[in-house]
Amino acid sequence: MTQTQLPATAGESLAGPPGPRAHLTSPVTQAVLRVQNQITAAAREYLSGDGFVEMLPPIIGPVTDPGARGAKQVDIDFYGHRYKLMTSAILYKQASLLAFNRIFYIAPNVRLEPLETSSTARHLAEFHQIDVEVAHASRDDILLVAQGLVSHIIRRVTGTMAAELAFLGRDPRAFDALLAGPFGRMTHHEAAESLHGLGHDQDPHAEIDWYAERLLSAQHERPFFVTDYPKGSRGFYDRENPDRPGTLMNFDLIAPEGYGELCSGSEREFEYRRIMARIRETGENPAKYGWYLDLVREGIKSSSGFGIGLERLTRYIAGLDATWQANAYPKLPGVVSP
Amino acid sequence: MSVLRAATFAETDVRRRARLGAAAAFPDADGYGTALFGADPGRPAGDEIDTARLVPPVFMPQRLEKLIDLGREPLYGDVDLTTAIGGFTSPLPVYVSAFGSTQVASSNLGHAVSEQAGRLGVPMVIGENIVPMNGYGRIDADTERTLLGRLHRYAEHVPDGTGGVVVQQSTEDADAEVWNLVYSDPAATRLMDTGRLAFELKVGQGAKPGLGGMTVVSDEVGRQVSEQFAIDPIFGPDAGRVLRCGAPGTFTDEILRQQIRLMRNNFPRARIWVKVHPGRDIAQVTQVAWAAGADAVTVDGAEGGSGWAPLAFLNHVGLPLAECLRRIERPAAYCLLASGRMADGARIAKTLILGARAAGLGRAALIAADEDPRAGLTRLLDSIALELRLVISALGKYSPAALDADDIWLPQHPVTVAGRVPEGTNNHEYHH
Repeated sequence: MTQTQLPATAGESLAGPPGPRAHLTSPVTQAVLRVQNQITAAAREYLSGDGFVEMLPPIIGPVTDPGARGAKQVDIDFYGHRYKLMTSAILYKQASLLAFNRIFYIAPNVRLEPLETSSTARHLAEFHQIDVEVAHASRDDILLVAQGLVSHIIRRVTGTMAAELAFLGRDPRAFDALLAGPFGRMTHHEAAESLHGLGHDQDPHAEIDWYAERLLSAQHERPFFVTDYPKGSRGFYDRENPDRPGTLMNFDLIAPEGYGELCSGSEREFEYRRIMARIRETGENPAKYGWYLDLVREGIKSSSGFGIGLERLTRYIAGLDATWQANAYPKLPGVVSP
Repeated sequence: MSVLRAATFAETDVRRRARLGAAAAFPDADGYGTALFGADPGRPAGDEIDTARLVPPVFMPQRLEKLIDLGREPLYGDVDLTTAIGGFTSPLPVYVSAFGSTQVASSNLGHAVSEQAGRLGVPMVIGENIVPMNGYGRIDADTERTLLGRLHRYAEHVPDGTGGVVVQQSTEDADAEVWNLVYSDPAATRLMDTGRLAFELKVGQGAKPGLGGMTVVSDEVGRQVSEQFAIDPIFGPDAGRVLRCGAPGTFTDEILRQQIRLMRNNFPRARIWVKVHPGRDIAQVTQVAWAAGADAVTVDGAEGGSGWAPLAFLNHVGLPLAECLRRIERPAAYCLLASGRMADGARIAKTLILGARAAGLGRAALIAADEDPRAGLTRLLDSIALELRLVISALGKYSPAALDADDIWLPQHPVTVAGRVPEGTNNHEYHH
């Protein structure tokens, strides 16, 4: 393990985004967007080669992912019916497996995050995810897909974008450990213990908070999975471990060097009765999930999947101070922007 | 004065308090010296709390302690009513409850209550008018303005270091994402930054234990909201109005536990309150809620509620509040709150003795603000504070926390009260 300097947060050393002209004409932005373009190309290359079908995600629907911590959904008027912009397309990912067994999207997400997140350097109100879902896959299966995908992307970017990375000041040797072996893995319980060791009071029943994630992240030199989050920290679709009630069969992928969470995923709940109970446990009114529950009642496939935050992955690979630098039209929580 | 009426409630008394303030703790001073006063034998019998009596002793070791502390004889003015309520601080063991989604809780009254509660630094629950009425099942712009307006009004007037706002959400308004709306709104920032924002999970309500929200709406509104609510034409086909019913929400111990944990997870900077109806499993419910991390659990007595409820429920359904409180085992660190026909210092003192940390004023706050939108609630609270000081000092005590089971006499349970450990000092003998 290495002791690494935490990347700066916007509150510490970085002003917010400049106007669109300054941002888009900046050589830094242009280099970052070229890196991002390679990331999506590499993702498509890897997943298509692995039998995945890329589908185009819906942007609106009567209901969206309720699992976004503390964030508000955006309502739109759909011919007199209140629809939502997707906070994530998770429900549609499960539905899409009716068509194909291996699917992915590169999907836009909109979340009105709490104002406090405007200074984390990691939150955008509008961002994109590389969304992957695999029918009949276990969590161990999907961890391998995530690891393979991220490794492939980094191998390709470091192989083809040396000039851009050099211009951005990113030393490609930062990825040597990542490319040399499998990602690390620890449970939420172990992560909480480790955080206690670092003097941070982590609630054993809650999500690892953003600061704690940075702390853990700074302790590692290659990405690592945190698995088995407690129920009560995630949405109803993350599958509860039948052998260990109260524990979810999910994971986050945390980048090293203080960059924090890149990806969340899980084995999914797919049985009607269990989903209904979980919907209530997450305080949701089942009525609004009508179309989804109808599908589930008739039967959907078991699956596992994940979503990689594209701007966060770009930030990590390009070594950026803030996630907004990886978006052409960045929108920080609470900041009115083009 | 508006058309607001509360026939089954001590409305006349509350309005008098709202006009007179502390003076309302006594009979009219005009008759002083000429009239004879005494207990009113014609006073209608209430619930068990009403029939219970506060019973001061003669020997008062805690008064002796206070005397030594002060260097003079203590008086009722020496009672410190400051109380920690669900993570907040209040100048007295009272908070303002939500009023329900009935029409009476309209925005002007709501604003009047918010402003006065804020100025006094008394915690306030906002729950009315949140239930979506536009048929989409989500919050509309007017409701959003009302909700945030009340929050803003409170935050504008509240002094530093006291009070707090509690925003309620029930199963049927979960779709409206009320908590998410507040959590990401600048109006809540000041309260959140100072630890004075809480979210209350509404599991049930006292007036209709086991049922969801019920209101009477016009045919037209009924049609508009029929996707979201059950519409029942109980008034007949030509009445022009229908009964609108919300779902009560399904709870098990695991559902409650996980909902509370998810609230803590999603809103780490907010306190978590839980409001329950007087269920027969109240002991288990409170334990689950506290263990999952609730900062306060409110028991809404079957006597409570400003809403519209079936007569069968108003008269026959739900545990009496006193019995509810008796069933709850409450370690000192946990905050138990109670509401249900609270409008005077004596009933509130009895409720505290039975185990509650503080009492919620619902209808009383609404009627007081209706009597005088500028200062009615302030005067009502003045009268309650005076009564609490009188009663607590008469019991030989000088803070609400010092009250215990010895301080009450219950005709139906004359021996003792569970849930509070009597202080040993009362058994001391003095030989002088």
